Amino acid sequence: MKLPDDFYFTQSNLQDYEDCAYRFYLRHLLHVKWPASVVGDAIAFEKMGQSGARFHRLIQQYLLGIPEDRLRDLALRDPNPEIAEWWENFLQYIPQLLDGQRFIESTLTTSLAGQHLAAKFDLVLVNEDGNLTIFDWKTSKKQIRKDWLLERVQTRLYLLILKQGGASLTDFESIGPEQITMTYWFTASPDTPVTIPYNHHAYQKDQAYFIKTIKIIIEQDSDAFNRTTDHQKCRFCVYRSHCDRGVEPGELASLIDFETHVGSDMLKIDIDRIEEIQF
Amino acid sequence: MLYNNHMPLSLEQKALQEQPLPSKIFLQGQAGTGKTTAGTLWLKKLLDSGIPAHEILIVIPQRTLAQPYLECLRDETVLAHSLVTTLTLGGLARRMVDLFWPLVSREIGVAKPNLPPQFLTLETAQYYMSYIVRPLIEKEGYFESLIINRNRIYSQILDNINKAAIVGFDYTEIGDRLKASWVGDIEQFHIYDDVQSCVNRFRNFCLENNLLDFSLQVEVFIKHLWSSPLCHNYLVRSYRHLIVDNLEEDTPVCHDILREWLPDFDSALLIFDQGAGYRFFLGADIASGYSLRKECDSIFQFEENLVNEPCITHLKSGLEHAILSLQGGSRKGIRIPYDAIKDSIQSPEENPKYFPVMVHWVANQVANLITAGTPPGEIVVLAPFMPDVLRFYLSNQFDELGIPHQSHRPSRSLRDEPTTQTLLTLATVAFQDWEMLPKRINLAFALMQVIEGLDLVRAQLLTAYVYDARSGEFPLKTFEVVPGEIRDRVTYQVGKRYDHLRDWLESNAPQNTNRLDFFLNHLFGEVLSQPGYGFHNNLDSGNTIANLIESIQKFRWAIGPQLPAEMFTIGREYVQMVQDGIIAAQYVHEWERQDSNSVLISPAYTFLINNQPVDYQFWLDIGSPSWYQRLNQPLTQPYVLSRNWVEGDLWDSEDELAHAHETLRRLTLGLLHRCRKKVFIGMSELDVRGFENRGLLIRLIQHVLQSAKRQSR
Repeated sequence: MKLPDDFYFTQSNLQDYEDCAYRFYLRHLLHVKWPASVVGDAIAFEKMGQSGARFHRLIQQYLLGIPEDRLRDLALRDPNPEIAEWWENFLQYIPQLLDGQRFIESTLTTSLAGQHLAAKFDLVLVNEDGNLTIFDWKTSKKQIRKDWLLERVQTRLYLLILKQGGASLTDFESIGPEQITMTYWFTASPDTPVTIPYNHHAYQKDQAYFIKTIKIIIEQDSDAFNRTTDHQKCRFCVYRSHCDRGVEPGELASLIDFETHVGSDMLKIDIDRIEEIQF
Repeated sequence: MLYNNHMPLSLEQKALQEQPLPSKIFLQGQAGTGKTTAGTLWLKKLLDSGIPAHEILIVIPQRTLAQPYLECLRDETVLAHSLVTTLTLGGLARRMVDLFWPLVSREIGVAKPNLPPQFLTLETAQYYMSYIVRPLIEKEGYFESLIINRNRIYSQILDNINKAAIVGFDYTEIGDRLKASWVGDIEQFHIYDDVQSCVNRFRNFCLENNLLDFSLQVEVFIKHLWSSPLCHNYLVRSYRHLIVDNLEEDTPVCHDILREWLPDFDSALLIFDQGAGYRFFLGADIASGYSLRKECDSIFQFEENLVNEPCITHLKSGLEHAILSLQGGSRKGIRIPYDAIKDSIQSPEENPKYFPVMVHWVANQVANLITAGTPPGEIVVLAPFMPDVLRFYLSNQFDELGIPHQSHRPSRSLRDEPTTQTLLTLATVAFQDWEMLPKRINLAFALMQVIEGLDLVRAQLLTAYVYDARSGEFPLKTFEVVPGEIRDRVTYQVGKRYDHLRDWLESNAPQNTNRLDFFLNHLFGEVLSQPGYGFHNNLDSGNTIANLIESIQKFRWAIGPQLPAEMFTIGREYVQMVQDGIIAAQYVHEWERQDSNSVLISPAYTFLINNQPVDYQFWLDIGSPSWYQRLNQPLTQPYVLSRNWVEGDLWDSEDELAHAHETLRRLTLGLLHRCRKKVFIGMSELDVRGFENRGLLIRLIQHVLQSAKRQSR
């Protein structure tokens, strides 16, 4: 299957592929937007997404040096009262972890199997010892287990891309996998961030995994992008009616990986995608 | 055309590449001399030298113009570990305002500085403008002497306030500037006063509601953030290397920013297209762009045209000379070889009387070129504007001959899509309290679209019995009210599907009265895309409905929190605005790329600004004065609202004529710079609107042909 010229493999599209090859095919190769609801309670879902986006923006503004008191004003007056609490927790637990050079909302790219991969990081911290830490802020209401995170495409891809492309943040000094860690911080459990170290073995394993996946994608015919056999995954998939996999969407409360379903553009405030007004 | 490794570089391109990196270079030349290619090579050079891509900023006046640079990054020979940033001034302003809002929100006069801003799209800004201006027209007699579509009133007022922002003058001066230059009827003064009043009210409304339209975003960035050390340092630290392409198409305030910013960059390449400036009506300022050459260390001039074959070069010279004569320049003849001119232009033996015959001729010529081996992507069909009827005829003819084609216009009308009409028709039935119930035929058409197995005849039969717009109850009755013989004709399977849809509409509407987008999401997912319904496997319709829902969602986000809910329901307001042509009039998606292997049908300016040369161009409707006359815009004046306008001057008919000639020169030469082999001239005695036109362009072409012929004797 020939990929579009401007195609980048990202955590979002690779996770789609892992969940369902057909979903990947429809969404990322055919650009089919299927406007069904992801969950039954679409209003709450939208509010969660918007709150997450505003909270990510507050952190970004903090990291850029905007005075804390101004940000507190915004947090206190936010339409979602939870944000004020998230904000106070952030200030309590995170700033002491932020020693080093900050690369905020940075996008790094690398190549694998002749294809381009990209990741947009909430924050990459480069400390004086040359160690790098990826920070990722999570606003899901559910507590997420470490073993689940370890297997997620996001974790594996972000670590791999930072290993391969991170030299552009360190004056092109090469980076060993052992120098990298990834820290997830959860608004739902602010005092227990999950830190995942990287190592050579994991890097090799991830590299082999992504090469294999990418090769399968680029070498298979369009009719080989099959629907998942795990019907549970269809509950939160917008294409379920197209695939005859059910009528009503799943319940928001059952959705574990809320942020993947909301889409990176809403949570990560991917400003490059924000509509520009063409005057 | 993007450079690839197999293409030889021109000497001029090589010379530029050999410049040391810390340079600040101003590169100028006409279209077709390889400037953008040189720009992409410069970008590669930066990356090859070890500069991280994220330290490189590319500024363009329009996002599509960044494409060659982004393609360069995807080239596998380029080892980039991050991405360059490509921005327009609008994008930069929006990005900075969004990011640094808490720094400036107390200074700019918004009523709620501790709440985030609400950015307006062109669509939602137009909505708010209509919200403010409509009552003034209807109750206070604003613009009463004007007979134009109201949407044009709203868009021209917005145009004025945007011009003030990008040219860099206070929006409160718009009316006075327009009045001071006016020669003519005193009534026009009242119109300009009304414009100023509307502008003031719109701005006040935006400030009271934290709404940031394009003009306010630019103003906040220029006046408050650019001078803020935190924002300024962030930009200076983030970007160390600059490439600007199509500098001449950008605005004065963008040039001001670049002028101040240039000393902070380690390197800069500014690319200026001589003879262009096609976005003048959008505020492009050639003079202020050109003045930036003084800020650079060196100036490069590209002279060699890499596009034109000799015959086109001769045609260009002939036309340029003819227009120069019109403009009062040299009347001395130049020698143009007749054979070259004959090779460069082709037209029918005789001009047909009606335009469909001309379209037929065009389609046959295109087919002949393709049969002879020309790739369809090397052919473009142009007109000053591309009215729907002309586009329709061309598309039909191309379809008949199996010619791949694509139609490029700046925007595509979402509201004209049958799928959109269908969804909104069902919504107006479901929400009967909106009092916008559809006509029976429209409902029949909608049901035909969404219920599998229902044709229009039976849909009309069905609606004749089940649809009652006057009862005051839910307007759709169940299938069982249909007489038995009609039920047999409609079929029970269709009836079952109809009943399911009807029941769903009746039970789901009440809970979604202010969330039309969610309502349509659920309607689509739970009914219309299920087996037995029209959109089950219709991926194209899925995309159209997704666009519609996204448009409604943005409308709800922009309108919902600001306007009191008791005044109206958002869904009803949206549908009303669609019907009025204020919103859903355009929708373009970033992934809707041009197909490089099809004939392009496009307005001339759109083709020019996309900056892609082709082998063959077809110029249609060349008798039309639209090739050089400006649009009739009674509420604005792009020349007067530019930075080059001298205070105290009056705009008169001589100015109008001079600018028409200049427009014609830029447009025709710009097209020819982007043509390799031949121009086909398509003209009929009567144009699309039935007018007989013999405007300047056709006369000039005839003049060039006849002069060359005379000289050849």
